[in-house]
Amino acid sequence: MFRKARDSDFVVGWLFCLPFLALWAWWFFYPFLQSFVRSFQDANFAQLDAAKFIGLDNYVTILQDKAFYRAVLHSLEIVVIAVPVQTLLGLLMAILVNRKIKGKGLFRTLFFIPYITSTIAVTTVFMMLFKQGTFVTEFFGLFGFRNVTWFADTHYALLFVVILFIFQQVGFSMIVYLSGLQEVPRDLYEAGQIDGASRLAQFRYITVPSLKPITFFIVSVATILGFQIYDQIAAISRYGALGSPAGATSTVVTYFYQNGIRYMNIGYGSAAVVLFFIIIMIITFLQKKLLDDKG
Amino acid sequence: MRAVKTNKGLATAGNYALLIVLGLLFALPFLYTLYSSLVTMQDVNHWVGPSKWTLDNYNLFFTNEAYNVPQWLWNTVLMTGIVIAGNLVINPMAGFALAKLDFAGKRWIYWIVVATMMVPYQMILIPVYVNVAKLGWLNSVWGLTIPFLYQSLYIFMLRQFFISIPGEFIEAARLDGLTKMGAFWRIVYPLARSSLITMSILAFSGTWNSYLIPSTFTSDPSKYVLVVGLNSVKDMFFENTPLIMAGVVLATLPILAFFFIFQKQYIEGVSSSGVKG
Repeated sequence: MFRKARDSDFVVGWLFCLPFLALWAWWFFYPFLQSFVRSFQDANFAQLDAAKFIGLDNYVTILQDKAFYRAVLHSLEIVVIAVPVQTLLGLLMAILVNRKIKGKGLFRTLFFIPYITSTIAVTTVFMMLFKQGTFVTEFFGLFGFRNVTWFADTHYALLFVVILFIFQQVGFSMIVYLSGLQEVPRDLYEAGQIDGASRLAQFRYITVPSLKPITFFIVSVATILGFQIYDQIAAISRYGALGSPAGATSTVVTYFYQNGIRYMNIGYGSAAVVLFFIIIMIITFLQKKLLDDKG
Repeated sequence: MRAVKTNKGLATAGNYALLIVLGLLFALPFLYTLYSSLVTMQDVNHWVGPSKWTLDNYNLFFTNEAYNVPQWLWNTVLMTGIVIAGNLVINPMAGFALAKLDFAGKRWIYWIVVATMMVPYQMILIPVYVNVAKLGWLNSVWGLTIPFLYQSLYIFMLRQFFISIPGEFIEAARLDGLTKMGAFWRIVYPLARSSLITMSILAFSGTWNSYLIPSTFTSDPSKYVLVVGLNSVKDMFFENTPLIMAGVVLATLPILAFFFIFQKQYIEGVSSSGVKG
């Protein structure tokens, strides 16, 4: 009888979930609530016990800070440029390496490797490549770009971050699209060929609609990751504040990190991160509405 | 008929041309890194033959106290090892309970897993940092591992896998006298081998390459992990391209080796996250 109770779904179920729940409660749920509570406090890391409730003051200050709007704008710029490029380029690469050609395995690996390489390492390499006077900046000069050190130039630094992001993420899009392409039913293409549809028409009316759920997945993952970009910016902000040069690469994340962790202003940083969370939620919701509902 | 064939030939040629351009674009940073790690400062931005190549840049990382690559490597291995070990125990247990057991409160736990997946880590970074500091875990391997022993995304993935295992396996084990717990560890867990490998691979690169957490929780150079150490070397000796590039090679070599060993599972793991998820 005792053994039976010990072996019930209830006991075993809770026992099996217990390690997760214990860690989750202490290392996720409690901090999650704390972020909200702290956002209404004037709290500094050095004197946490002296933290006092100040209502919406942190939010009011942030929403009056021009630097915050600049950071939001940069985050949006990154996402608006990087996500479409990375999605379309990923699809193009997937189609290219999906054909029956020699060496496709090599190309797949080559395009995928940046995705599994450390962002700090990739950023470091690109910093060396995009210094003034290297063959890379000289090459870009042919297209009207100034020959400068990209990550130290207020006009180019954000674009530099976007290029890094695309370079690392495009392999992920390619791999996910590639497996999606395997799932498109063969008979659809056969039917298309019998109807005399051109390759372009087949792509437009068979491939693209079949890949819609995958596109949605890639776009939402890329958007969230785009908003969370941090490593690249931390790596190029060598001596200056996060978001160097002169705030040209500040994002919502660096704004929160600079205030909350570097300046140890925990209340203010928490308010910033709550706003960051709200922005992400709104954008995820809008995306779902836009991409999911329409045919 | 001939026209069609030429067309097809042209398409293939175009395909190759595009692939080669893209391939060069992607190969260039790697070739550049490798090359410049092997030359002296004077030779960085032009080509010199192998007779002038040298391993001096690499040597510095193993002989200089200030940038202690063996120590950083060990810190990284320890951090990654503990995190993966935890994830290999905690996630499958919860995933199994949510997939195969029926108990009051299960729906709540499932909801918790799914909701947690949606929250970016930055959202809780400050309070976690405060908690880690209060426990005295800054500059310690515990701060880098204990909060990360589970991952709700992997619990979700494993739950999906366990659902696909037929109930007969568990019933047969029970007829043989095993408890539910015994059935899980002896029968179901080994069956999940490929899913567990996939999870470990994703956890491996996520942990090995992580920068935000280790750079926030460590400030003592002897406690750095490779990626944080690499970034500090880059900041200190930015003008010394060959030295930094050797650092890049050293920091990325282990993960690339790991990738080439598990390439197949790696790619399947990443793609199934999109197709089935």
